[in-house]
Amino acid sequence: MIVKIAFRNTLRQKRRTVLTALTMVGGFVLAAVSIGWSDGTYSFIIDMFTRNRLGHIQVHRKGYLDKPSLYRTIDRYQEVGRQIGDIEGVESWAPRLFAAGLASVKDKSSAVQVLGIDPEKEQKATRFDRKITRGKSLSQKPNHEAVLGKGLAQVLDAGLSQEIVIVSQAADGSIANDLYTITGIATSGDDTSDRTALYLHLDEAQELFALPGQVHEIAVVVKDLDRVDPITEQIRETLNDPELEVAPWQEFAKDFYKAMKLDQEGMWIMIFVIILIVAVSVLNTVLMSVLERTREYGVQKAVGTRPKNIFWQVILEINVIAGASILAGVLLSLLANHLLSINEITLPFSFSYGGMEFKKMYAEINLRTIIIPATTVILSALIVSVFPAFRAARIEPAKAMRIH
Amino acid sequence: MMKTLCFTVVVVSFLSFPVTGISQELDVAQIVKEIDNLYRSDSSYARLEMEIVTPHWERTLKMNAWTEGMEKTFIRITSPPKEEGVATLRIGNEMWNYLPKTNKVIKVPPSMMMSSWMGSDFNNDDLVREFTFLEDYDYEETTAENAQEDLIYIRFTPKPDLPIVWGKVVAAVRKKDSIPVWEKYYDEKDRLMRVLNFKEIKAFDGRTIPAVMELVPQNKEGHTTVIRYIELDFNPQISGDIFSLRNLRTQR
Amino acid sequence: MIIWKDIKLSWRNLFRNKRRSFIAGTAIGIGLASLIFVDATIIGMKNNMIRSATASFMGEGQIHAVGFRQTLEVDRTIHRRGWVIAQLDQEDIVRHYAPRVTNFAMINSAAEVSSINLVGVEPESEKYLSQIDDSLEKGTFFQGDSSRDIIIGKKLAETLDVELDDRVVVTAAQAGTGELAQEMFRISGIFRMNIREMDSGIAFIRLNKAQELFGLGDKIHEIALQFPSPEYGSREELAFWNKFSQYGNEAVGWTKIMPQMKAALDLTDFSTYFIAVILFGVVALGIVNTLFMSLHERMFEFGVLRAVGTRPVGLFRLIVFEAGSLAVLSIFIGLFLGFALTYFTSRVGIDYSGVEFAGVTFRELLYPVLRVQQFIEYPIWVFVFTMIAGIYPAVYAAKMNPAKAMRKSL
Repeated sequence: MIVKIAFRNTLRQKRRTVLTALTMVGGFVLAAVSIGWSDGTYSFIIDMFTRNRLGHIQVHRKGYLDKPSLYRTIDRYQEVGRQIGDIEGVESWAPRLFAAGLASVKDKSSAVQVLGIDPEKEQKATRFDRKITRGKSLSQKPNHEAVLGKGLAQVLDAGLSQEIVIVSQAADGSIANDLYTITGIATSGDDTSDRTALYLHLDEAQELFALPGQVHEIAVVVKDLDRVDPITEQIRETLNDPELEVAPWQEFAKDFYKAMKLDQEGMWIMIFVIILIVAVSVLNTVLMSVLERTREYGVQKAVGTRPKNIFWQVILEINVIAGASILAGVLLSLLANHLLSINEITLPFSFSYGGMEFKKMYAEINLRTIIIPATTVILSALIVSVFPAFRAARIEPAKAMRIH
Repeated sequence: MMKTLCFTVVVVSFLSFPVTGISQELDVAQIVKEIDNLYRSDSSYARLEMEIVTPHWERTLKMNAWTEGMEKTFIRITSPPKEEGVATLRIGNEMWNYLPKTNKVIKVPPSMMMSSWMGSDFNNDDLVREFTFLEDYDYEETTAENAQEDLIYIRFTPKPDLPIVWGKVVAAVRKKDSIPVWEKYYDEKDRLMRVLNFKEIKAFDGRTIPAVMELVPQNKEGHTTVIRYIELDFNPQISGDIFSLRNLRTQR
Repeated sequence: MIIWKDIKLSWRNLFRNKRRSFIAGTAIGIGLASLIFVDATIIGMKNNMIRSATASFMGEGQIHAVGFRQTLEVDRTIHRRGWVIAQLDQEDIVRHYAPRVTNFAMINSAAEVSSINLVGVEPESEKYLSQIDDSLEKGTFFQGDSSRDIIIGKKLAETLDVELDDRVVVTAAQAGTGELAQEMFRISGIFRMNIREMDSGIAFIRLNKAQELFGLGDKIHEIALQFPSPEYGSREELAFWNKFSQYGNEAVGWTKIMPQMKAALDLTDFSTYFIAVILFGVVALGIVNTLFMSLHERMFEFGVLRAVGTRPVGLFRLIVFEAGSLAVLSIFIGLFLGFALTYFTSRVGIDYSGVEFAGVTFRELLYPVLRVQQFIEYPIWVFVFTMIAGIYPAVYAAKMNPAKAMRKSL
């Protein structure tokens, strides 16, 4: 019965209902979009950054991350890689070998960090060719080619088609040395590493350093950033090898992760404020609409309505509106976020980082974009309806009717 | 590779100081002078083997080495086959390597010259400054555990402000011929850092000296480096052309 | 035409129903306060991000010889050093500067050897510019006058197995000749910055000792700069950069030295902008709503006014003025709240509890930054919006049939 009255009341006072609902819907949508946007851009940034070079997940020999060493390798990397590749959700994987050495072009020499890569896999996983600024990437089949980091090429005064000698100590203690032709220059986005980076074909690096079938790292790229953690766990289970450690990007890119978290927390302050304002707006609207109906409640009580019923009536009215608003809000905000997520917003500028061009941003649709605004609206509606409902219930009819 | 080559350069550069006569008196200063000059001469030629043991691999390199004065060193590796023909030339602070496989001569940048010491069993001061016990340390006779009658034990403390990392060095020397048996290197907190053992005393070109030097780091598991002289000529006639870039490339 | 009388009337009307006006005013005021607060917070956040990268060691700008940054060759020293320093002393916008020399070197302890960047600093200048002195876990920052003081990072100390007062030997190749030089030093300080490269790869000694060791005479490689605020380093149009990029030197701000940071900040900027627009939308919505409700309920009253002869345009003006008055009231409330909150947090800081930033020893507190602009621009927007929001009910009331209005019981 009360429900029916409540319902009818809302329909009767169209304008007031509409205004109240508008606040709720509007607030809901705006809050949802801001959350969707914020989440979307962060996922985007994280994805771009990790995909660029490091990968979402990395597999190493135990202890390698803490203390890298030429000897801490992953054996039979093809087998390990294949197992990883078979896991659902994994997009691609790339093996890498790291070693230090001395490189010389003509009469200039410098210390280098050799990176042995599988050109095909590296291309698929981190789009290596996008990093090449001059010349071209390594051939798929080993061909005694080398790609230099930008800073290294500068220090060695080296150009395309020149010969470069690499000397180092192999894993069996012997002198590792060989000749390669420079086919390309690359930027990875990290100036410091570019000053020493020298890319070789993995097979040739393995031969040079006497590490047959071994690599130091397998980088894994997943299809969906949100699934990094469960996939990490799955890789651990599948490999089932206590000698290998599997780490998600939050671990091996700790500095970046913390910077991102910091940034995101800053963003959340803003979103919190938005939510607060939405709550205040709802509060305000509802409060006013309840207060202004004091006289009406007075009349109701005068004709015998029980205080309890008035109380519930008020609450119900408001929450009916809230409920409807939330429904509308959900629909609208899903639409908005959806539009934003597929129609990337083009930045007014573009900038490059590590060979990646940042030009577009996306919003994200996730549960949070619905739950948080919904909770906010409901809670604020509930809270604010209690006090006036109370007061309405306790109104003295005569006094109430005299107000106006 | 770099480590072993540079290491060799270091060891061989011990062979470049004027020699003094051998004395019979038990005069500590005299003994110190003699152990300083054990391997030194104006010029030298040596055939030697270096055996390096690490937790990951073991190798034995054979090489021929020429020195002149303090400045010039030339080393040619003769074994194992993979490294045969590799040569190093050092003149003063410059160093070049020749690699037969690629037929290239590479100049080692000063930074790498030092970085080759990373992980090596020998320190920087072994390469750059030939410190002498006589001039750069204060020394006095001391005792040791399980002291042997025929040995004299000398403690060396580096003089202040010298770029030496050791807190002290203790040497055990044979009284009768001033030949060292071992040298123990300690840090300033009296922790034993490395032990240098001298073994297999033989006669080389008129001098009786240990043919084997064995370096055992105490703070790294499973590492040793052993140098064994097969042949050693003091002050031979050496042609100056040996210490040239061109010589790096000739297979000798 | 604005009539003073009407304004006074509208103002008084506002206070007739104090509760309603204050509720509405507070609601709008909170919106304004939040705009101010968020703006200040974002500035503080950006400053923190920049400072975290630059204040640890890099500085907000640097001067080098051209090519030094890319090659780090020890021979590339700053040209016309005397002139540069003299000019820096006179520059208003340079708050502090610190000269340095830097070179690749090897450091030996009895136990281990490691490769490092050896940096010679002037303790008095460096104190203001970098945070090494703040991150010392043990020892002091070049107190006393021993030229053999050396300060290293915690990780390096562990690798070398040394503690305070232990001796180490540093070997470096000198400028010009390439001769290797060696010196003995004693650990006089151990720092911990939680940045891997610093903690394991850098050692500091006194500037003149370093110059002596590297054979540099009185030449230097780098001058790190600090400006009144981090954003100077991003203003590429400043005449400052050109002035100090003469004679074969280059002066660059942190945006050029760390383009990744600039990229990340630009991205943040854009994101923030987007959300700020939303925030504004929410506030605007709140204003519109509030105004609607508070005016709408007075329809009866407006009907009466019309009935007793007020002209439509007069009613329109009245309502609009009331909206304006509400705006003014709200602005007062909002400015007060906004100032109070922002000022308070700008002193005390916002605590990012739980975030140990693996960056630098930078305060984990966010200090919002007050700007005069916030107190002028945003109130204007609020005023404008409130007025606009008042137009619809004003028009509605003006056009309404008085009888109908009075019948709109609430």
